[in-house]
Amino acid sequence: MRRSGGNRSRLLLVTLIVTSLFFITLDLRGVQVMSGLRSGAQSALAPFQRVASSAFSPVGNFFSDVAHLGRTRAKLKKLEDQNAQLRTTLIAHKGLDAQVAALKSVLDLAGTAGYKVVNAKVISQGSASSFSQTITIDAGANMHLTRDMTVICGDGLVGVVKAVFPNTSLVMLASDPSFHIGVRIAGTQQIAILSGQGTDHAVLQLLDSQSSVKIGDALVARGSEANKPFVPGVPVGTVTSVSNAAGAVSQMADVKYYAHLNSLGLVAVVIQAPATDPRDALVPKAPAPAPTVTIFVTPTPSPSPTTTK
Amino acid sequence: MNTRKNLLSAPIFLVIFLFQETLMNQLHLPFGGFSVFLIFTLSWCALSTPETGALAGFAAGFLLDIAPHSQGPVGQWTLVLIIVGYAIAYLRYGDDSLRGNPLSLVVMVAIGVIATLLFYVALGALLGMDLGSGFQLMKTIIGNGVWSLAVTPFLLPIVSRLHANIFETREFK
Repeated sequence: MRRSGGNRSRLLLVTLIVTSLFFITLDLRGVQVMSGLRSGAQSALAPFQRVASSAFSPVGNFFSDVAHLGRTRAKLKKLEDQNAQLRTTLIAHKGLDAQVAALKSVLDLAGTAGYKVVNAKVISQGSASSFSQTITIDAGANMHLTRDMTVICGDGLVGVVKAVFPNTSLVMLASDPSFHIGVRIAGTQQIAILSGQGTDHAVLQLLDSQSSVKIGDALVARGSEANKPFVPGVPVGTVTSVSNAAGAVSQMADVKYYAHLNSLGLVAVVIQAPATDPRDALVPKAPAPAPTVTIFVTPTPSPSPTTTK
Repeated sequence: MNTRKNLLSAPIFLVIFLFQETLMNQLHLPFGGFSVFLIFTLSWCALSTPETGALAGFAAGFLLDIAPHSQGPVGQWTLVLIIVGYAIAYLRYGDDSLRGNPLSLVVMVAIGVIATLLFYVALGALLGMDLGSGFQLMKTIIGNGVWSLAVTPFLLPIVSRLHANIFETREFK
């Protein structure tokens, strides 16, 4: 083993470690320079992300789409019948159609509730190796966004604006481990706290030991003071399982978000809440039972009276 | 150690960082995916002297810290990568049987990725970060390790060629 300049090497290591500890201390004490660095980095990255997002978005969802092959197969079969040029046009249109559909559903939700929203495109997802769940959207201070605004999509709650840059914003998804929201159980009006877990499921904790929750209960945002960070009435998710631990102070439950947080394309930021709380009006309707088929049999003209059935 | 050579490698790190932030972050890979930037940094460190390893770790960690989506305080990734970068360079630099064996290098980088993430989580816990469910954390960390094991062999030739171009006249040869 050969060590060249062992002392110098150790001095360098110690200097670097002390510098990083210095950074951590400065940042934890809230020195502005440190948050300015991140804001500057985002401003520098934004144009690249925008270009990459428009060029890469058809490929980006490939891996998550593999799981839903059956659904796309029917669509593909139809396309195969048409010639190559038409197929290319169709693929291009398909992307636009999806965006229009997403936009329409988000506007429907916002329209029903009376939210004033700003639409935005998702231009980047958080890194795979960091443990935070965030997205970057292409609207920022230029669209009058500010910190702590609610972000929704057509299905329900997406998250909350965490940082605003000149042309982009960083949104913390509802699945982030540090995400907590006060919710109301639609119907019974009991209140509870929902905490993100890093997956598409979250944990619900009721605040009152007397109240109870059951599978299938829908949850809506309770709303915050002055509507920040959460406007009231946004559908959040539905209860998928309830754990009844003996001796627990209050009930806990597992909740699945309405929004598909790992394949978001278009979102809307609520910049103004409705004058009145929409209550449970936005909770998605349960799928209607398939209509029963009624067959009417016309009696054949026959003189016999027994064939009237 | 040569300051000019270390400075020359800075643009390479910037380009890989940009590639990770703009293109790789758009992919939704199962089990947490992998970070090209992290694999690149650790491979780079493994090919360098401990001093260069620590410096590369510092630079890479600082870039990760100022990435807008990173949650911890600025300096958390820096601290983690200085120590892991130094350690991985020290281990390889010191051991002749490991040097020049690509398989051991791949395994070492994958273990390095896992160690980096575990260290990051542990430091985050000390600093009071919300980390979510333990199962999800383990899935992400192990997923990253397995992905890195699969991807590193393809990245390694590129990294070692770039590294050789800059540090051609290494002082220990």
